Amino acid sequence: MQDKTQEKTKTQVLTREENELARRLRTADKPLTVAGTSIGRRDDPLKVTGKLKYGADYSAEGFLFGKILRSPHAHALIKSINVKKAQELEGVAAVLTAEDLPGRNGFGAIIPDQPVICGDKVRFVGDGVALVAAETETIAHQALKLIEVEYEPLPGIFDPRDAMAEDAPKIHEGGNILSDDKMVKGDVDAGFAEADVILERTYQVPFLEHAYLEPDTTMAIPQPDGVMLIEGPMQAPFTTRRNVAPVLGVPINQVRVRQIHMGGGFGGKEDSPIDLSCRAAVLAQATGRPVKITLEREEVTIQTAKRHPMIMELKVGVKKDGTLTAFQGVIYDEQGAYASLGPKIPPAGGSHVHAMVMMPGPYEIPNVKVDAYLLYTNHPYGGAMRGFGAPQVHIAHEQMMDELAAELGITAVDIREKNAFRLGSQTATGQVLSQSVGLRETLESCADRFKWDERLAATGWVDQAHTKRRGVGVAMGWYRTSIGTNGDGCGAAVHLHEDGSVLLYSGITEMGQGAFTVLPQICAEELGIMPEDVRLVKPDTDLVPESGPTVGSRSTTLMGNAIILAARQVKESLMDTASMMLMVPTERLDAKGRKIYDRENPDKSLDFAAVAARAMAAGKRMIGQGWWTPPVPSLDGHTGQGSPYHVYTYSTHMVQVVVDVETGEVELEDYVAAFDVGKAINPKALEGQIEGGVAMGLGYALMEEVVLVEGVTQNPSLQGYLVPTMLDVPDIQPVILEVTNELGPYGAKGIGEMPNIPATPAIINAIAQASNGRVRRLPADPERIFWAIKEAGGPPQD
Amino acid sequence: MALAFEKLHWHSKLEVAEYLVPASLTEALDMLASHGGKARVIAGGTDVIPELRSRKLDVSVLVDVSRLPDMDGIEADGDDIVIGGGVTHAAAAASPLIQDKASALATGCGWVGSPQIRNVATLAGNLVSGQPAADASVPLLALDAEVTIASAKGERVVPLSEFFLGLGQTALDPGREILTSIRFQALADNQGSAYLRLAKRKALNLPILVCAVKATADGGNIASAAIALGPVAPVPFRERAAEEFVAGKPATMETLTQAGETATATCNPRDSLLRGSCDYRTEMVKVFVRRGLTAALAQAGCTVK
Amino acid sequence: MSTVELSFKLNGREVSLSVAPDTLLVDLLREGLGLTGTKAGCREGECGACTVLLDGTPMNSCLLPAVKAQGREVTTIEGLEKTDGSLEPLQEAFMGEGAAQCGFCTPAMILTATALLKNNPDPDEGEIRHALSGVICRCTGYRKIVQAVQTAAKARS
Repeated sequence: MQDKTQEKTKTQVLTREENELARRLRTADKPLTVAGTSIGRRDDPLKVTGKLKYGADYSAEGFLFGKILRSPHAHALIKSINVKKAQELEGVAAVLTAEDLPGRNGFGAIIPDQPVICGDKVRFVGDGVALVAAETETIAHQALKLIEVEYEPLPGIFDPRDAMAEDAPKIHEGGNILSDDKMVKGDVDAGFAEADVILERTYQVPFLEHAYLEPDTTMAIPQPDGVMLIEGPMQAPFTTRRNVAPVLGVPINQVRVRQIHMGGGFGGKEDSPIDLSCRAAVLAQATGRPVKITLEREEVTIQTAKRHPMIMELKVGVKKDGTLTAFQGVIYDEQGAYASLGPKIPPAGGSHVHAMVMMPGPYEIPNVKVDAYLLYTNHPYGGAMRGFGAPQVHIAHEQMMDELAAELGITAVDIREKNAFRLGSQTATGQVLSQSVGLRETLESCADRFKWDERLAATGWVDQAHTKRRGVGVAMGWYRTSIGTNGDGCGAAVHLHEDGSVLLYSGITEMGQGAFTVLPQICAEELGIMPEDVRLVKPDTDLVPESGPTVGSRSTTLMGNAIILAARQVKESLMDTASMMLMVPTERLDAKGRKIYDRENPDKSLDFAAVAARAMAAGKRMIGQGWWTPPVPSLDGHTGQGSPYHVYTYSTHMVQVVVDVETGEVELEDYVAAFDVGKAINPKALEGQIEGGVAMGLGYALMEEVVLVEGVTQNPSLQGYLVPTMLDVPDIQPVILEVTNELGPYGAKGIGEMPNIPATPAIINAIAQASNGRVRRLPADPERIFWAIKEAGGPPQD
Repeated sequence: MALAFEKLHWHSKLEVAEYLVPASLTEALDMLASHGGKARVIAGGTDVIPELRSRKLDVSVLVDVSRLPDMDGIEADGDDIVIGGGVTHAAAAASPLIQDKASALATGCGWVGSPQIRNVATLAGNLVSGQPAADASVPLLALDAEVTIASAKGERVVPLSEFFLGLGQTALDPGREILTSIRFQALADNQGSAYLRLAKRKALNLPILVCAVKATADGGNIASAAIALGPVAPVPFRERAAEEFVAGKPATMETLTQAGETATATCNPRDSLLRGSCDYRTEMVKVFVRRGLTAALAQAGCTVK
Repeated sequence: MSTVELSFKLNGREVSLSVAPDTLLVDLLREGLGLTGTKAGCREGECGACTVLLDGTPMNSCLLPAVKAQGREVTTIEGLEKTDGSLEPLQEAFMGEGAAQCGFCTPAMILTATALLKNNPDPDEGEIRHALSGVICRCTGYRKIVQAVQTAAKARS
């Protein structure tokens, strides 16, 4: 399988910029010893013994408990606020309102539009209107209850389409349309004229909660020298620092942020730690004491970011043979109360733009038009969640592909085969896919492993009573490996010591995905030593270089490259030294397994440590610094044309389900998910990402939804917000394909988010294939499936 | 209407002043009596603790009955099965006697919450919590169980048909009384039972609909049937109309289908944002009554034609 | 506020202490005794991360008043620690199979599996899934956890 895919990479069509970067990197053909193997996770021994410390595990001895008074209204003016009784309560150290704040009263990952403490108005149920720091949790609670706030309720907006009305109440001063983006390629009218079949469908997805198992917690600890130290689980220490400093009214270098191991993040801990850190920091600054804020589970659901809900209107034209001719889409992308990670960072950053770019799917379509609106409402706000806008639009286009195929009487695989991207394809933004396009290979391998043809032929009734039907579903997907902004640079440092041991400095965080294992693996590979020779310095903004956030499936690829470049600077010292010691020119030297040796005469070798000692003694450079910036993204602000992301990961999922057509219940029987990952640096960790991502996509398909009524979350606890249990997730079989990415470390591409994306539509498509029940509004819980079958006139009658 | 403070601000800790662990039933009842109804019984705690944390329940004294002696028996007593007030769902689900002579109850007990919950939560607590779709309560209602309730004043026996009074309300005063045992008739050879459950996921779930059936076969006819449903009313609900409809009729698919239709006329599930609409659950009542009867009759040795 | 005297066996050792009557076992372990391997994920028994063994049986320590431990034996993940530093087969298997990602559910999964294998040394996949279904894992998709339990069962036999 791998041989075949290697063959196909020979015909890339790299741009000049890509060529230059690839030449600089030149890792794609390197024979590997350490990278590419499934070494165990470095922190596993701590996890299986319970010794790994999470934020809540650090003692709060001497800390004040921070609490947030939350708005009970979705939209209201604050007429008055009286904190006197709360302040007088014994054990209360501080009660803060908006007017007490020292610096900028706003934070946000992209735009600081969310008040640290609301002053004039509140915009969602859960907005912070006052902060309390007290000696105990109970006192803090009592203090919250003693704060008197007088509100003047305003009409709220709870449907993003209502937000666009001219007379809609304005949630923010600038109006309710946060972003209005367009993507236009070719001429959709001409495309529809060519089509034999045109379908128009609307798909809708709800707010989703990350439900990372570890509730958020943050500590703000004032240091004797005036520095504010922030510690907590977080994906984006640098973004947190960038927000805390102006909120405190101090320069960035007066804030130090240290990451604590996360109990899951999935994008959610990109911005919830900004919220908690800013609030804990102002309390700590006001009291001069360390403050810890820990959210209860229900508070996590109420207060922190969600996956954006979307209403997606599609109109797609196709010829009889399955060739797509035109794609027209409208996205009503609900931002909720605050901008978070929704809006555009030119040219192609922000979840909204990403959703727009991904919307037509991984298919060649000559004529495309997408209008994408990002709209404020009085709901909780949308942030990043594993796929950043892509899962939503995949749910639309992958269902549409099946609906078109059914209309044409061809199979779901046929229509995808007909249109899927290949090397050299042009995307909807006009980008020519220049390299590492393994989409078709994933379809082929997935169909092989799943036995698609056989299983498709065998679908039908399971029981004689005709209550249960078996069906199969397929979905494909694509995902970027960068964030589409110009500022997507990533720094690393490698410190070599005289005994051959290495410290690796990186700002990429660990949330369970395995970065702290894979990154040392890459460093060791480059230096020719073992992973255990490399100790990773935990993200600390005072110590590690700016690395950007741990998001966008960018860690392995972007940070991996930065590490390779950093390692090479010290490797040069080693090779120079070894060259003199062995009297062999550096070009003939290589390093592996802690030896530096003559490639033409491998017996002629030196211990890595001995060379390091000599290099140190000779005053050679022992510190390497690497900085990697991916190819400059482009996306025209008016036409949405350009190359927004430099390389994509591809995937095909296939699933077999049994639907109880009388009740709408679904059982997943089998699942195969194939991925073109470029190169698997740690195959076992990668499989883990796949299996977990699919399970999360299953939850999106069948059960997950933050239920809101007039802005009030109805299911804040895990009793009401359902995530898949061990009995719901089938055995997921991963298939890993490697179509080399010339711009990734040893050919790798990002994988963190991709598995989550096609899983949902694959399951929805299988349900429809089994039962005729096409659920266009998620989740496809038993009731929605039941009505969808009824609407379709019942299950297939064969 | 502004949302209540407690719905937006959550506690990690409880606020209870006293935790009493009586050594005997008499002592427990005395403790309750001496607090004049202000104390609350705690057994497994799986319902009480979350209610205390969310401040839905406001009591200052807990009386832990989980260590009372002689409360954890599951025994045959003539034609009856008697389950002690301290029996957990895990114990009931694993009991060969219950599996054999009241399989609907074993199935229901095996679906409550999670293994961790089942290991502590008691059947008595399940009844006393008074929830309409409780997985032990609904089968016990179909089994025509009766409960013994003790207080400082003495004992009384209450049939479950009179026990459930409203959502979260039962004939037992949780500040003064203790449910000490549950009694019902074991299934005879010509009887069968079944328990069905509809939910959005397969463990730790919130039931959309549950249905327990006890059926008595008479050759190819249905001699009688007891059908309990939840949540289709504020309390676990006996579907009398369908029961009357099937009594004495031949065990045909037509009879059972009509029984399902009959059931929809009397039960009234409300629209629930988290569980499902009234319309859907009404449709499911039809399916579950039919399927429940079919399975229970099959266990009774009667194949539906 | 009054306190309650409490004695129980914790990870093989007798402990005696006074606790507030409304102390939950999870908080006694984490805050009172510094055993932070037991996690609080939801505080209502819905995630299972707080699972400990009470007399060998898995229970949610977030729903257990500490007083309920009186005279009984509590085992937490720290209780699996051996003096020679070696790990239990389950712990080894969780590492070997890559069954831990963020690790927040890992102690609960391992303890629950410990109780399972004690009662049923050779469980099939369905039995494993049922026994562990009270612990939510949001990272792994569960497959590698099931495999780890299978591997450990083989290693023990």
